[in-house]
Amino acid sequence: MTPQPTPHGPTDLVISGLGLVLPCGDGIEAARASLASGRPCFAELPEALGPGRGAACTAFNPTGIIPPMQLRRLDRACRYAWGAAHQAFLDAGLEPRSLGDRIAVAVGTQSGGSEASEAFMRPYLLRGPEGASPLIFPNTVANAASGHLALAFGLKGPSATFVDRENATFGALEQACRWLRLGLVDAALVVGTDGLFPLLLDLCGRAGFLARHGDPVVGAGTGFLPGEGAQAFLVETRASVAGRGIRPRATLAGLACRSAAGDGREDRAEALAASAESLMVTSPQRRIGGGNGRPNLDVAEARLAARQPQWPAALHPKQLWGEFAGSGGQLLAAALLEASPQVLITAPASAGTQFAALLEEVSGRYGIISD
Amino acid sequence: MNRRVVVTGFGMVSSLAPGRETTWAAMLEGRDGLGPLTRLNLPLEPAQIAGQVPLAALRHQTLCERMALLALEEALDGFTPPGDPGRIGVFQGAGTSGLPVAEAYLEERMAGGRGRALEPAYQTPCNVADALARRLGACGPRATLMNACSSSLLALGQAWERIVAGELDVAVAGGAESLCRTTYGGFSCLKAVDPRKCRPFSRDRAGLNLGEGAVQLLLEPLDRAQARGATIFAEVLGYGASMDAHHPTAPHPEGEGAARALAMALRQGRLDADQVDLVSAHGTATPANDGAECLAIRRALGPAADAVSVTSTKSQFGHTLGAAGAFGAAAAILALRDQVVSPTLRLDDPDPLCDLDCTPLVAKQRRLRAALVNAFAFGGNNVSLLLGRWSGA
Repeated sequence: MTPQPTPHGPTDLVISGLGLVLPCGDGIEAARASLASGRPCFAELPEALGPGRGAACTAFNPTGIIPPMQLRRLDRACRYAWGAAHQAFLDAGLEPRSLGDRIAVAVGTQSGGSEASEAFMRPYLLRGPEGASPLIFPNTVANAASGHLALAFGLKGPSATFVDRENATFGALEQACRWLRLGLVDAALVVGTDGLFPLLLDLCGRAGFLARHGDPVVGAGTGFLPGEGAQAFLVETRASVAGRGIRPRATLAGLACRSAAGDGREDRAEALAASAESLMVTSPQRRIGGGNGRPNLDVAEARLAARQPQWPAALHPKQLWGEFAGSGGQLLAAALLEASPQVLITAPASAGTQFAALLEEVSGRYGIISD
Repeated sequence: MNRRVVVTGFGMVSSLAPGRETTWAAMLEGRDGLGPLTRLNLPLEPAQIAGQVPLAALRHQTLCERMALLALEEALDGFTPPGDPGRIGVFQGAGTSGLPVAEAYLEERMAGGRGRALEPAYQTPCNVADALARRLGACGPRATLMNACSSSLLALGQAWERIVAGELDVAVAGGAESLCRTTYGGFSCLKAVDPRKCRPFSRDRAGLNLGEGAVQLLLEPLDRAQARGATIFAEVLGYGASMDAHHPTAPHPEGEGAARALAMALRQGRLDADQVDLVSAHGTATPANDGAECLAIRRALGPAADAVSVTSTKSQFGHTLGAAGAFGAAAAILALRDQVVSPTLRLDDPDPLCDLDCTPLVAKQRRLRAALVNAFAFGGNNVSLLLGRWSGA
């Protein structure tokens, strides 16, 4: 495959708002502190999720954000998405209802809808139609989060939910940028969200994906630990943001993707490298990587590091917050937490498309700062 | 870059007949693929009817993946791949996808068994797109859209966008869906499944029937298609998408969001309402959908709505959920090609609220210049695709 050069440099699209629900806590400051400390968030999981270690969002507090009646009907992924989106709109100083159908929502998820599917199926398998819950069933679709976000915030523009193994949120980001560039919307809410649930943990454990001894270490090949959470990014044109007097969190300078034709790790590593190198970055100040402790992804990151020794060593947020926690959204979030002229993010996946993104003028700002 | 995009191949795996042309012929004859539910053993469910494909999953291949690959083979008839595999994209709409495998695993675990964990762990929704990409040797963008029942139509729209923008030379887009217990029990508990064969737009419509199948379309820029002498089925002119922000499952009662999706598709395709002759409707036969959809068509097309033909493929195939939009697109493409609208079956007694020409019972020959295809979904997701007749211009 011939790598296609992707011209980059300051563009018209910026990330104006950020909202985070992570195992380290809610909000930007909790995430910043977690990243700075370098301490993993893994602990014994809450009893309802089953035995094992992982990074659950035990500190998530929806009080005052999600009405109690709604809260009861939402699964974890939808709750986290709602909480993160609420923060992102505040951070961007934007009242979404004012945009009507000029605001899109694009969601990336690895497991969206699956928690509700398990909750629906367990009683259905035991009791047949008597056990089927009409309240749970609507949440079994992967796009349940986008529907709830549309209702909660009055979002009436286009919507798309991308599902992939580890980097679906980058697909969502790509689509959001496309809608903005086509002039179909003035703003796009991009959300990565995933919630843990017993069947997922059971499957990952029994399939041998999980680290059994200690925390995951990128490159060690011992497996990952599961995590959950949501990240919301408000993407707008620079002109829109300037009009509100908001300082952007970052400029989206480039986004590239390549897929591997074959199934092997080497094929995927090649695709990730081609994706990152197509952004033509010579010396990014920061690197965020998607290594998670399983060779499936770590080999691709190691290959890239060897090919580009002049690049700084990558920080791998999944070592702190776990895998699944937003299907790649956690990588984009980590890139936004520290001021930097240029941050390169690589988001490998164990199948399908391999993404790379370049952020510039990352402000790393605290709260809402008006120019 | 702003290229014209055409459909140069497509394949169908349906409950009605094997392959595209035999399925189309059966549709025009007024036959349906609905029959007794045998794939799932759900004796307590009041409805025992579905549109089943006479195929089964294989040891390492879900039924969705198998049907998608079969549809792709038909779509690839006479296809010449571009030199750069990075210019081939794959866009798939999915609904249940690997869910039957997860259901089987959960059932076995609940019964105290071990289950085969690796199967559901690897049979994720994106497997279908991966399998299609492997078959094509595609290294370009690959996406699995899960917008419930509008998934595959959105996938078609996204493929169109990428080719228009000059990012791709070929895209395979479509969807595949297989029956599973979650959706069957789910729609049933919502009282949305009709125990009889569904009757879209009818006064006594009482819900949907579930169906399965796959449709895959091959999209290319017009110049490439002409250069290789490809058969051109239709032109893709644009698509629209919107959210209702009204209710988690029910459509806006006046079709407000759906009308915006229709209008957006017309704007993107730069067509006036009176240039559209056909709407391949979502037409699920649920009491809530069909009336709201007809209102949406009226809102979007205005007085021109009185002149359009409307049809619902749900009467032939049942509701194929994630693949439904692609089935609707297939019917519209073939209608544009042959200048004939497939009928809405069992529409003996039209609902006065559905006061459009919904093509009752028999196929209708007429001039068809452009067609809108609708797919609506849980979460208030609306997608409309605009297709144009290919007349060699």
